[in-house]
Amino acid sequence: MIRSIARLAFVALVALAPAIGRGEEPPSLADDVRDGKLPPLAQRLPREPATQKPLRADWTPGRYGGELRTLLAKDRDIRMFVVYGYSRLVGYDESLQLQPDVLLRVDNVGNRVFTLYLRPGHRWSDGQPFTTADFRYWWDDVAHNKDLSPFGLPQALLVRDKGPKFEVLDETSVRFSWDEPNPQFLAALAGPSPLYLYRPAHYLKQFHARYVGVEKANKIATAAGSRNWAGLHQKKDDQFRFDNPDLPTLEPWINTTAPPSTRFVLVRNPYFHRVDPAGRQLPYIDRVVVNITDDKLIPAKTGAGDVDLQARYLRFDNYTFLKQGEKRNDYKVQLWEKALGSQMALYPNLNVEDPEWRRLMRDVRFRRALSLGINRHEINEVVYFGLGVESSNTVLKRSPLFRPQFRTAWSGFNVRQANVLLDSLGLTRRDKTGVRLLPDGRPMEVIVDTSGESTEETDVLELVRDSWRQLGIAMFARPSQREVFRKRVFSGKSMMSVWAGLNNGIPTPEMSPAELAPTAQEQLQWPMWGQYYEQNRKGGEPPALPEAQELIGLYESWRMATSDAERVQAWVRMLEIHADQVFTIGIVTRALQPVVVRNNLRNVPKDGIYSWDPGAYFGIYRPDTFWFDAGARG
Amino acid sequence: MMGRYIVKRVLLMIPTLIAISVIVFTIIQLPPGNYLESYIAELQAQGESVDPQRIAFLREYYGLDKPLHEQYLRWAGGMLVGDFGYSFEFNMPVSRVVGDRMLLTIIVSFVTIIFTWAIAFPIGIYSATHQYSWGDYGLSFLGFLGIAVPNFMLALVMMYVANVFFGTSIGGLMAPEYIDKPWSWDKVQSVLAHSWIPVVVIGTSGTAGMIRRLRANLLDELQKQYVVTARAKGLPPRKALYKYPLRMALNFFISDIGSLLPSIISGAEITAVVLSLPTTGPMLLNALKSQDMYLAGSFLMFLAVMIVIGVLISDLALVALDPRIRLSGGVAR
Repeated sequence: MIRSIARLAFVALVALAPAIGRGEEPPSLADDVRDGKLPPLAQRLPREPATQKPLRADWTPGRYGGELRTLLAKDRDIRMFVVYGYSRLVGYDESLQLQPDVLLRVDNVGNRVFTLYLRPGHRWSDGQPFTTADFRYWWDDVAHNKDLSPFGLPQALLVRDKGPKFEVLDETSVRFSWDEPNPQFLAALAGPSPLYLYRPAHYLKQFHARYVGVEKANKIATAAGSRNWAGLHQKKDDQFRFDNPDLPTLEPWINTTAPPSTRFVLVRNPYFHRVDPAGRQLPYIDRVVVNITDDKLIPAKTGAGDVDLQARYLRFDNYTFLKQGEKRNDYKVQLWEKALGSQMALYPNLNVEDPEWRRLMRDVRFRRALSLGINRHEINEVVYFGLGVESSNTVLKRSPLFRPQFRTAWSGFNVRQANVLLDSLGLTRRDKTGVRLLPDGRPMEVIVDTSGESTEETDVLELVRDSWRQLGIAMFARPSQREVFRKRVFSGKSMMSVWAGLNNGIPTPEMSPAELAPTAQEQLQWPMWGQYYEQNRKGGEPPALPEAQELIGLYESWRMATSDAERVQAWVRMLEIHADQVFTIGIVTRALQPVVVRNNLRNVPKDGIYSWDPGAYFGIYRPDTFWFDAGARG
Repeated sequence: MMGRYIVKRVLLMIPTLIAISVIVFTIIQLPPGNYLESYIAELQAQGESVDPQRIAFLREYYGLDKPLHEQYLRWAGGMLVGDFGYSFEFNMPVSRVVGDRMLLTIIVSFVTIIFTWAIAFPIGIYSATHQYSWGDYGLSFLGFLGIAVPNFMLALVMMYVANVFFGTSIGGLMAPEYIDKPWSWDKVQSVLAHSWIPVVVIGTSGTAGMIRRLRANLLDELQKQYVVTARAKGLPPRKALYKYPLRMALNFFISDIGSLLPSIISGAEITAVVLSLPTTGPMLLNALKSQDMYLAGSFLMFLAVMIVIGVLISDLALVALDPRIRLSGGVAR
């Protein structure tokens, strides 16, 4: 009995199999396959395709077809489809764990020796095999070519200025090995703008001096309007810019339009390596159409229902407007969480020119007082409709590194305590209007530089100004323009600036904590210390505070760590220092990003995180699995 | 006489254009930073990272590490031999970037100008000959509205109305399916079908302005003695209007040609941005914003050349059309 049921089930399964669709051709390609223009699916997929597991509870396998419309603001924004496509050697999944994607697997020995295994039978979008020869071409002819890479290997491959040893083991495996650990290697491969270790060699050789001869290569280049062959190679070769329709790709959609254009059309990659649980090749959606519009018009056009999916160039203050159009134009607005450590943070410039102010900025009591003097609750209610979370500038709750005390440290509104702190600094003299005086007699007037880009900044600063007034500190906002703003901060002309908080508020211990240590000039609280590290002690100033030095030390120990426990330790200590030292003054976190989704577009998560790295914006949610429910249209 | 004058004017153009090129270059360089810096800043504002190696490569490749005067000489020298430099933003020579857009811009501007003339002339003449009549008041009222309402505002209102009441989105110059297709009869038809909205929007203020000027100039002439005499002598009213007064009143129109030429190729930047027209206006604006200096510079130079030529043409035309205008004082006929 049981056996016959089993047999019946088996028969039924076999009978159903074609209906479930294992190996079913996407209808839009069926004609080409029948006419012999394309090989059948089995020959287009790698022998072991990447099977997309169901991502969420409400995730469903989809139907083929349809055209996704979206808007971007500039021709060069077309690179966003490399970000959204998110076809990477290894990539983050939705829970931000690294998983092999283009690769079949990775062997990692102590973060020092990485062996990458390709999928046998994997092909570029033009049908040519994707093999280790493409890695070899990149290593020998691009990365080590003086004309193409005059500045040497990419930063992510260097450990203490030393590159890896590169070996091609066979047609589908390569090995990179360092003497010391390189924890940033896999993360760089998974980045939204990834480290590309391969090039479509078969295509690029026609531009390369080594393969066609310098003279001929240069002649081709001048005919194409470039200065020399290296310029043309660079231009043809940019896998991230995505502006060369002839360049083979591994992404789910191929760009078919060369800029300049106001409309870009992307079509499905018939050789894409991912399949759905039923073995059907992704992406579900056949075409993507991108119209280029001025960025200020994008919210208006989105509200008018001109798109199927849009998040870029929509801001939180467009939310109510977008909501209005929901019914009429058949879409819904979802709010995703941005991964910023703080929607807006104040950066006291520890490198400010003025010695009096520099002394104050470097005194932790002063920074703590400023932080205590901000009424975050009021700001949240007034500017963010109470949707934000009052917090200092630290990691978000989603991160495994989150600790509640990082959020609350020195971030309550406490005027009395703040005044006590300021008094203890000896700033007790005041002028007639109640503004404290600096030791040299000048009134305490904090000038906050803004990049002048949003009214949100000015609104928040207005409220901060009111509450700082109660500390006896006058505050003025000085809006300028982005480049001027940066220059002023970098050169120490600005004493305080306002900008978004931590870029990555959702780190896992494997991700780099470089942002927390003075490692880059664009860190607005200590640009010169960052420059010092960035330029290998050749520029800037060495960090003068012991806490900043400790942060550098912790960052180095994270880099050298061999176990997760060590990495967690380094991370947590760094976050602790930040919470305690208030190097940046966060205001409100859980910033929200409106995402407009056509009602019949399926598999777009309702609440996602909207983040560049990690996240690749839509990338980790796999837009290749989004699909249109044709029956539900209208 | 005339020949020498033209040669002199053409020779004068050379120092003029050199001076303009220096000014253009300086102004483009005035804001702090350069293309790469604003590019980096923009990426970082979006939370994206930048590969320092690539930036270093670009800085060297584009010659942005060279001193300013060297960059200028390279650019100005290139223009003499028809090389307009390299657009950083598009990563290709400027001439290729501008290509197709120039054609569309010329079409839109040309149609707009025809539209402006076709409407403005009859109305202007009517208002002048029927001064202080209801028709004159009504048309003048509309004309003032046309001058007072900013073009981009009109464009926004039209877009809103079209969307909310007709459910269509305007903007663009052709149906989307033609955008990346080669030119064909269908495409031309599509362009014509789509171009009336920008033409109306861009043309309104020009039309209104022209009506006012034509009316004023014509009124001046109509009150002169010779017109009165002509009428008294029984010249038919049409002839008494067209033969002399209208021709006299057209001087302003001819001197307008000087500014018309550049506007044909730059065409209503702000309106084009609002309507997202694939014309050169938005491109110029973006190039200036992102400090894509060769694209912006070459474009402005092109406009300058157009102005200089336009002014010359209108001066010569004036001399030819109006015998009262002399080449210079003291030269006897």
